[in-house]
Amino acid sequence: MENLSEKLKNEFKKDIEPIAGQDNLMIIKLNKKSLIKKLSWEIKRYFDLLYCLTVVDYAPVFELNYVFSNYRNNDVLVIKVNIDQKDFNIDSISDIFDSANWEEREAYDLFGIKFDGHPDLRRILLPEDWPGHPMKKSFKVDDEIRNWTGLDMKF
Amino acid sequence: MEHKERIRLNIGPVHPAMHGVLKLILDVEEDTIVKAQTELGFLHRSSEKIAESRFFSNYYPIMDKLDYVSALNMEILYASTVEKAANIEIPARAIYMRTIMAEIQRIMSHLIFIGSFGEDIGNITGFIWALRERELLMNVVEKISGGRLAPMYMCNGGMFYDFPEGIDNEILNVLSTIENKVSHEYSAMFTKNQIFISRTKGIGVLTKDMIKKYGITGPIARASGIQRDLRKVSPYLAYDKVEFDVPVADAGDTYSRFIVRTKEILESIKIIRQCLKDIPPGPYKTVVPWVMRIPKKDTFVKQESPRGEMGIFLVTDGSDKPYRLKLRSPTFFALRALEELLVNIRVADAFAIVASMDPVMGEVDR
Repeated sequence: MENLSEKLKNEFKKDIEPIAGQDNLMIIKLNKKSLIKKLSWEIKRYFDLLYCLTVVDYAPVFELNYVFSNYRNNDVLVIKVNIDQKDFNIDSISDIFDSANWEEREAYDLFGIKFDGHPDLRRILLPEDWPGHPMKKSFKVDDEIRNWTGLDMKF
Repeated sequence: MEHKERIRLNIGPVHPAMHGVLKLILDVEEDTIVKAQTELGFLHRSSEKIAESRFFSNYYPIMDKLDYVSALNMEILYASTVEKAANIEIPARAIYMRTIMAEIQRIMSHLIFIGSFGEDIGNITGFIWALRERELLMNVVEKISGGRLAPMYMCNGGMFYDFPEGIDNEILNVLSTIENKVSHEYSAMFTKNQIFISRTKGIGVLTKDMIKKYGITGPIARASGIQRDLRKVSPYLAYDKVEFDVPVADAGDTYSRFIVRTKEILESIKIIRQCLKDIPPGPYKTVVPWVMRIPKKDTFVKQESPRGEMGIFLVTDGSDKPYRLKLRSPTFFALRALEELLVNIRVADAFAIVASMDPVMGEVDR
């Protein structure tokens, strides 16, 4: 774990900054979202899986929390990446961590974030034709949603 | 070459042989599956969004309905997350009580697995036997908490009530009954049953690489030879004070997934017996205000639920409600393996494999 953080510091220099974490939880902030793929390749040497991907809505900025873990011990690494609402996409890491596949689909489903290079970016929890992305703080239940039936017919 | 007709088979979301509302879309040639897709979301209730409009103390009923087969584990996970975020220390008695409740719930959940697995491969007697044993524990949980399926027993800082008097003897009696049945009677129905063995051995093999690729945890990973149990890796509650083994099997097939869970029941019984012996007297909760404010921070807690590693990522912003609450569900990752696992096997085996994953859709769809 220490080796990894040293290595990341040398590799990325100013683009990452560590945030004081809690016990066994290391949090690193990545300043450039274009570097997420490069960073993931480095992390892949130490961590086995993307444990979970949490998107937090601080509109107009959305914060992505990538939680990595491995099967050998209890280490957890959190990578924070901010993306802007105007430029609402980020590189997919599902070709590096295969377990990211459905987590990214879920983030796309509930927040509308586009993951470039994802092999199968469809909605996963909600129906294909659902209007809007409900986990956004700006999501309002309006008549379109209230009267949504999932069928192409009028009652 | 002979042309084979390809049929698309939609199984679920409402189907007697499917677990909950999981939908499988299978492309079938004769009796062999050539392509499998899973469809989720039929039980999506947006639990994460509901969290953002409730006080920290008012979210427990939603956690109950998340994984409704192991409601107490979900409650304990949420309680631990909030307590870690708010720096609440819970008394020693509460820690032991929570360990006992978590393990009782784990036995109940695994008994449901044994039952529904038996039902799916045509062993109805197994289903009725397993539910008979589960009923004994249901009565214990009802006496302790007042509820059966969704007990609402945990609260921030501990439990709502103390154990009723004389419950230890009752728990011990029930445990010895279950231990006897699981280790002796069930072998006739399952592990020494030739039909059961030929339906499960060598079917649906998950290799170690597949486990790591898909990020599967819990009993499914342990059945494939990965020795990882969060109760050992990062002991929480009272798990570092009790002795127990982590059952591991190597084959990774449907049979070993069954065996691992059966052995886990016996280990849970061991844990509960030690906890009942060591449980200290004293207060059962730290009194905390019903409405509390937690400063801005991120908290990540993971615990071993009966289905694998369940986690909560809690973001607080200084208000009395969570700013964002993300639930990491283990079966969500496990179900993705079905698309690879179900290819080139018979349709009848597909049901045994899905049942061996033990999905509870409430937790997958959230």
